[in-house]
Amino acid sequence: MSDRTHSPEETKAALHDVVVEMYDRIVKGEPPTMTLPVRTKNNITFNTRLGVYKYGKSTSVRDATSLRSAKQLLRALHVVEFIEEMIDAGKSSTLREMYYISEGWGHGKFGSQNESNNLAEDLEVVTKCLREDFKLRPEEDGARIIGNITLQERNRRGEWMRINARDDVGDSGYGVPYNVESEKLELIEHDVDFIMAIETGGMFDRLIENGFDEDHRCALVHLKGQPARSTRRIMKRMSEEWDLPVVVFADCDPWSYRIHASIAYGAIKTAHISEYLATPTATYLGITADDIVAYDLPSDDLSKKDIEALNAELTDPRFQDQWWQDQINMMLKLGKKAEQQSLAKYGLDFVTDTYLPEKLAELGLA
Amino acid sequence: MTEKRDIAAKMAGNQKQASISEFFEKNKHFLGFDSLHRSLITAVKEAVDNALDACEEARILPDIRIEIRKADPRRDIIELEVEDNGPGIPRDSIAKVFGQLLFGSRFHAIRQSRGQQGIGITGVVMYSQLTTGKPTHVRSKIASETTAVEMELGLDTKSNKAIKSKEQRVPWILDDGTEKVSGLNVRCRMKAKFQRGKQSVWQYLRMTSIVNPHASITFVDPEGETTHWPRVTERLPRKVSAIKPHPHGIELGQLNRLAKATKAANLSIFLKTDFSGVPGRAVKEMCEVSGLIDSKGQPLKSRPGRLDPEQIRALAETFQGIRGYLRPYRLDHRGSRIYVADARRPGSPSAPIADAKHGDLMEALTDATIDDLLEIVTSRTDMHWEESLTELLGTVKAAHGDGPWNKQAADAISKHLRKTWDPRIVFEAVKLLKPPIDCLSPIEELLIKKGLSKTIDSRFVTTLTRAPTVSTGNPFQIEVGLIFGEGMPSDSAVEVLRFANRVPLMYQQGGCMLTKAIESVDWRQYGLDQPGGNGVPKGPAAILVHLASTNVQFTSEAKEAVADNEEVREEARKAMLELGRGLRKHLEKKKKLAKTQEKFELITDILPAIAEKSAAILGRDVPPLAGSITKIMNAVIAQEATTWDKEHKRTNVEISLRNYTAKARSYTLLAAWPQRQGATMINNEQGGRSEMTGVWAWKLETLKPGESATITFGLEGLEKGDWTETDVFYRGAGDVIGASKMDDALLAELRRQEEVLSGDPEDEDGGALEEASDGAPEEPSATTPPPDEDPVEPAAPSGPKQTLFDYTEGDA
Repeated sequence: MSDRTHSPEETKAALHDVVVEMYDRIVKGEPPTMTLPVRTKNNITFNTRLGVYKYGKSTSVRDATSLRSAKQLLRALHVVEFIEEMIDAGKSSTLREMYYISEGWGHGKFGSQNESNNLAEDLEVVTKCLREDFKLRPEEDGARIIGNITLQERNRRGEWMRINARDDVGDSGYGVPYNVESEKLELIEHDVDFIMAIETGGMFDRLIENGFDEDHRCALVHLKGQPARSTRRIMKRMSEEWDLPVVVFADCDPWSYRIHASIAYGAIKTAHISEYLATPTATYLGITADDIVAYDLPSDDLSKKDIEALNAELTDPRFQDQWWQDQINMMLKLGKKAEQQSLAKYGLDFVTDTYLPEKLAELGLA
Repeated sequence: MTEKRDIAAKMAGNQKQASISEFFEKNKHFLGFDSLHRSLITAVKEAVDNALDACEEARILPDIRIEIRKADPRRDIIELEVEDNGPGIPRDSIAKVFGQLLFGSRFHAIRQSRGQQGIGITGVVMYSQLTTGKPTHVRSKIASETTAVEMELGLDTKSNKAIKSKEQRVPWILDDGTEKVSGLNVRCRMKAKFQRGKQSVWQYLRMTSIVNPHASITFVDPEGETTHWPRVTERLPRKVSAIKPHPHGIELGQLNRLAKATKAANLSIFLKTDFSGVPGRAVKEMCEVSGLIDSKGQPLKSRPGRLDPEQIRALAETFQGIRGYLRPYRLDHRGSRIYVADARRPGSPSAPIADAKHGDLMEALTDATIDDLLEIVTSRTDMHWEESLTELLGTVKAAHGDGPWNKQAADAISKHLRKTWDPRIVFEAVKLLKPPIDCLSPIEELLIKKGLSKTIDSRFVTTLTRAPTVSTGNPFQIEVGLIFGEGMPSDSAVEVLRFANRVPLMYQQGGCMLTKAIESVDWRQYGLDQPGGNGVPKGPAAILVHLASTNVQFTSEAKEAVADNEEVREEARKAMLELGRGLRKHLEKKKKLAKTQEKFELITDILPAIAEKSAAILGRDVPPLAGSITKIMNAVIAQEATTWDKEHKRTNVEISLRNYTAKARSYTLLAAWPQRQGATMINNEQGGRSEMTGVWAWKLETLKPGESATITFGLEGLEKGDWTETDVFYRGAGDVIGASKMDDALLAELRRQEEVLSGDPEDEDGGALEEASDGAPEEPSATTPPPDEDPVEPAAPSGPKQTLFDYTEGDA
């Protein structure tokens, strides 16, 4: 994201704008405020130029007329000050560290880690800067990759290390660092036909044990649930720089659909940087609601929460495509969901010998 | 009462065939000795009830100590010792009190008494003897004797008489070396089990302490752990007087017994002297409607015991209002009833002709003539009157002729009769006076409050004593209390504390009418959890309900659940609703207060921090905050602090009012204060005036934006915890957070509460209320009289200590 990052001066100026808004309001004898885009599914729209979903024009004003909002404003100020100190000192910190540092912020102290994460995102959205600009790192678990691709990563001593994600790694694969921008990571070469993103660790390990990556000439990415920013970013880079197709292999439940949406269309929480994280060409391979029927897979009943989530997806702008509407409605009609591992009903090799080849053939990748 | 007699009768009858011990064995479930665990509770209950009753009778503030020791843990043998400071029992009566079943005066009088339950201390003596073979040890001292008498008591179960042994005279020296003035010590050994929990001796004593705030109770359990429930009032319960039965509550069998047993020489004297609520006028009327009159229309002179069963039945029907008078009336031009003088006659309420079946009536009318009509109508109802019948005949004749009528005409006449014929007659039972209600001894709101507060440590307590009322001739009174707050479990059902005549009811909660009254309220609207809007609510609360009555009806002989009675239940329900409203008000106030606190935190801590931090980041000056503060608060805020000043033994109240709006505001501030509780207002430097009894008012200077005013005063003559929260009111424009707007409705409500609280029917509304209504509430004049010149200044030394304490007078 080097082309997206801002200089320390730009970052500071953008952060100052947030502070100025509050200050000026007090000078005017009004309660201080912070204006930010609404971050819900109702305020994301498809950007045809970028091919991803971005925040729309709705904004909300957080004003200091309630104790909760006032505390949010105060916290934002502390975070701004903290970021400036880090920029000036050439340091960085994790979000979790910032959460603990806030212990010393008096009334501006965070109530939970979630609050500090959200506030960092708020500031990103408002300033259009990235958290890298803020010198804030996530602690989120980056993905693992296995496959015949070669990358170059700058280590702690500042030296470039060349790594082949098949030959130079152990069983756990290549661990994706939190920063995957070009100053830290370069994509060198590859000998694969496509990238397969896999939701669960169990399935990732199954495919590796069965040698699927070599048999089908692909790189396997373990998403670890909802993928971290760096996971989405590296997939996007591989897809664009190497012009490789990305397929998503997940469970068949409403949450897996959302994982795919965040990879392919952009996540609601990070819609301000969708164009850097989303891979519009990514395709959902399975498991689809159709597959439950077609392969007669063992399934579980949808829970109340699942049904609520599916109904929410029906009105989510990212799922307005007819194929998705059909899949969601079908899952609702079946009242069932299925895990990737349910394919083991037909034996351990069924997924690599039968299911995936058949599904890939539909996409013309087999 | 009747049950008592029934048991007595049963026992007397049974004695011939079976021994008393057999009877006891057979009936132990309703005597309270059905399990080892319950037997102990019952024994404690009998002893403690006796002590409380005796102290009350002798006007002594009770000090009761209960000790339970494990005499032989392997065989569940427990020693129980109960000691009081009551009047003691004279030597010659001890054997009777402890050794004879059903001894005592309370079985014959109708009044509120604890002893409606159980069979008394004799049961304990008997149970001890039956289970351990050991006699009960009694030590008693009466004030007029210098030494106490000690003896051991057993029971001769064949003759129903006590066996005395080891009698001796001993000096009774207390631990502090002084001699005991009077009192009773009872010690017995029985097979029993001590347990803790919801149904335990501890819980029984705790509940007893709540409803007997005048008692000091100490309990030592088998582990040696001591619980002390202190006395919280010096006021003894009102001495209750016995009343005679009221006719409305009397059934046939009971009337029969009363008639046989009376000493009255004749029927008139019987009615006049053996019942309450029967004025002289009613005696004659009752005899008349019962048909118990001679040829001259005078009441029969016969002895009540000589009345035959039919006559007794007629009298019972009169008692119950089944017989009475039929009374004709006319309607005046406005439709009001004018009763026809002296034209009533005895009768009973019958179904009006409107209830007659149309088919039957039509059949009777078909082929009938105008001459038959009179008979047809009178055969179907007593509700007729000659004049209106004549009118009716005329109408029918004009419309349908003399008859005979065909089906069609009969149909029309029947409809006419059923719909429009007005018999112009009403049924009236003989009018009786209500029974007197001074036979009840309510605990009173304030004392329940104290009782609850001492046993449950919590923040909010509301209590209510309803006015006494009457159900089928029995006076009764409902009292309720609710305590809410931290320290009680919030996810389980509220604790229900049920009492009948100051006796805790610990079993059969679900089947008790008092519980049903609680369940009949939708507590959700008052801030308690209640799944589905019925059942016992959940939440950090306890609900107390006390039924005081001369005749508590229980669902069974076990006497643990009050039987359903619509009037009593409705009274209890109404009381609950009022508690609920109190709770909701408290919660709303709390919520509002929390919100206000938040706003204060916002403007005092957060906003300055935002201003400083933003100024620091931008390298500018810290901006002034006044404008933002006004916008954020945009309200006038009243804050009240009521604190206890330990040093001066005084309650201090501080009320401040700050104008956080952009406009100047002008207010009169009012505050409630416990004038009725005997408090004296001191250090009230801002002056003001009395608005009404218990409400003081101050006219404040106009407050400009950002300005504030503070009022302080002290309250003397109260104890810690008596007054912990001061209600603040205001008159003026807009809303004041933290105070209620004083308007006519609120003022009326306060006056009503004041009347209830005054609790003194003779002094209906004192002078203060009139004074208050005289004074224009919002005097424009800026000169308010200094408080010491105010004619209603309640703090004047001549002012009497208020009425709640009155009812012990004459006994002091």
